[in-house]
Amino acid sequence: MTEATATRVLRGGHVIDPATGLDRIVDITLQDGKIAAVGDGPAPAGAEIVDLAGHYVTPGWVDLHVHAYGTLGFADPDSIGIYQGVTTFVEAGGPGIGTLDEFVALMEGRTITALYAGPYLRPMGIVGLNFIEGDIRSLTGIPIAEWMDFMKAHPGLLRYLKIGAFGSYGKGPLKMGKGLAETLGLPLYVHIGEHQQQKGDDASYEIFRIAEAGDIITHLYHNNRTGVLDRDGKVLPLVKDAERRGVLFDIGFGGYNFAWSVAEKAYAQDLVPHIISSDLQQFNVIGPTFSLANVMSIFLRLGMSLNDVIARVTTAPAKALKLDDRAGSLKVGLPADVTVFRIEEGAFELADTYNSSRTADRRIMPVMAFKGGRRIDSDMTRCQDERNWLVQIAETHVPAAAERLTPAQLAFLAALRGAIAGIQWDASSVENFDLWKAIALQDAFHAVRRAQDLALKPALTAVFDCFLDHPFTMQIGLFLLRLDRTLALARLEQVTAQRRKVA
Amino acid sequence: MSGGEWHRLDGLDPASAEFPARARVGSEAIVIFKTGTGLRGVQRLCPHQRAPLTNGVIAGNGTMIRCPQHNYLFRLADGKGVNCPGYKLAVYDVKEEDGALYARPAG
Repeated sequence: MTEATATRVLRGGHVIDPATGLDRIVDITLQDGKIAAVGDGPAPAGAEIVDLAGHYVTPGWVDLHVHAYGTLGFADPDSIGIYQGVTTFVEAGGPGIGTLDEFVALMEGRTITALYAGPYLRPMGIVGLNFIEGDIRSLTGIPIAEWMDFMKAHPGLLRYLKIGAFGSYGKGPLKMGKGLAETLGLPLYVHIGEHQQQKGDDASYEIFRIAEAGDIITHLYHNNRTGVLDRDGKVLPLVKDAERRGVLFDIGFGGYNFAWSVAEKAYAQDLVPHIISSDLQQFNVIGPTFSLANVMSIFLRLGMSLNDVIARVTTAPAKALKLDDRAGSLKVGLPADVTVFRIEEGAFELADTYNSSRTADRRIMPVMAFKGGRRIDSDMTRCQDERNWLVQIAETHVPAAAERLTPAQLAFLAALRGAIAGIQWDASSVENFDLWKAIALQDAFHAVRRAQDLALKPALTAVFDCFLDHPFTMQIGLFLLRLDRTLALARLEQVTAQRRKVA
Repeated sequence: MSGGEWHRLDGLDPASAEFPARARVGSEAIVIFKTGTGLRGVQRLCPHQRAPLTNGVIAGNGTMIRCPQHNYLFRLADGKGVNCPGYKLAVYDVKEEDGALYARPAG
């Protein structure tokens, strides 16, 4: 019997399961990684009794907007997942079709938290450089056949197609995204929010007309250009029209996109998100976002009932993602994904992303979670470790991991050095985001890898291990572009010299 | 390496100044921090989204400053963005001499 298959009775907790309407103190029995029973009675022989008196017990939380991978991701993605009570999360746009292979190679099996992908329409995925990604050129090369082939090869991995409603090119890119999402049979997931700080027109409003039932618009309560309120603070009619058509609204708290002033006005007019998500990433995990639980607490302070908050992190996202056959409920037979939390009372400052705060007298604090029956005790500060969120190139030393590279990896790196030595890039390539250089570096990486017959994962990690002390994941073209070229070539020479020494 | 002329920071008494302290070098608004190795000046507004760095946090054992608005980190030695390639912060050498503070753009 493994830890995950153990029989456990979660006893004495107040169970809230919006999918079944359960809202009372009752036992939940976990067995063989599944929900085995809901109801009081004698515990099965040999079962471990977990006393949860004074706690709440809910289906495992689903965060449909995080950045676990890529330029915004973490060294330890579980730190914003299972360790914070989240049993399922979705990578929101880190990879695109040009980098989904890298995403799969690096992320498969990396997390205890169930990880799904919501890739970006842009082939490179989220660039994370200077907000230049509104440039329509970054949409160059959208291969429909590759998208369809990827879907077939990885059934169930993709849960939505992400686009950004911004830029200076009218509604054309939005329709391209909608068209591809329809072709792939995925919901469209649309970012509105900070990109409207770029120069451009108000095309983002068009997404409220283009989106259809089941599509999701995130960052509902942002306070940047093209928000959901008019100048008098009234909800725009086109926003309510979209909701009536069945378009879903998500909060996507993030580092730029939640304002108390907007939230209070919109909430008072019954413009309420259907889904609560965090948008956790490197740049907001040590504030103001902190955790999905923190965002949930903000909705309690806004006036939402606890049960409605729970619905928005369980049954609602599971249904929107078509994951309700495996997540979002405590129905018997479903995987034993459970979150346990308590309500803390006191005086808590809850900040939005614009340096405005409200004081709350209670907050939600995860205590433990079960993923497929495996128990993980919560650790809300694990994510804040600098090594988890600060990508820092080891400029003055060779990371220890480089000492453990295999001969095949070293041979690959030596060949890669030769290939990229023929590509010129410098600081301006990053400052102005030279997409073509990033693609050239990515192409060189893959050409060498194929010539060396090295699998994708060991090839990617070989490069990262030469420059990073902590195991971040990132699109390889972007990673190489971000490196100082002189340092990159010198480091690859230094590391591969070891190969010659061994030989 | 020298980065230009020293500018006397009028109105800042090194004996009584509280850091971080606002100052001006010519027309440039800066803020001066006390780190483990001495005083260092940086431009007052973050180059990312112009958030005030008067609330900046010294990090990385005194080698970096973190903008609290979006957690962008910059090296105090040369202003280079650590986790935000493409962004650069103007940094200033700061010295105390004859009971006054002086600053100059770092070379």
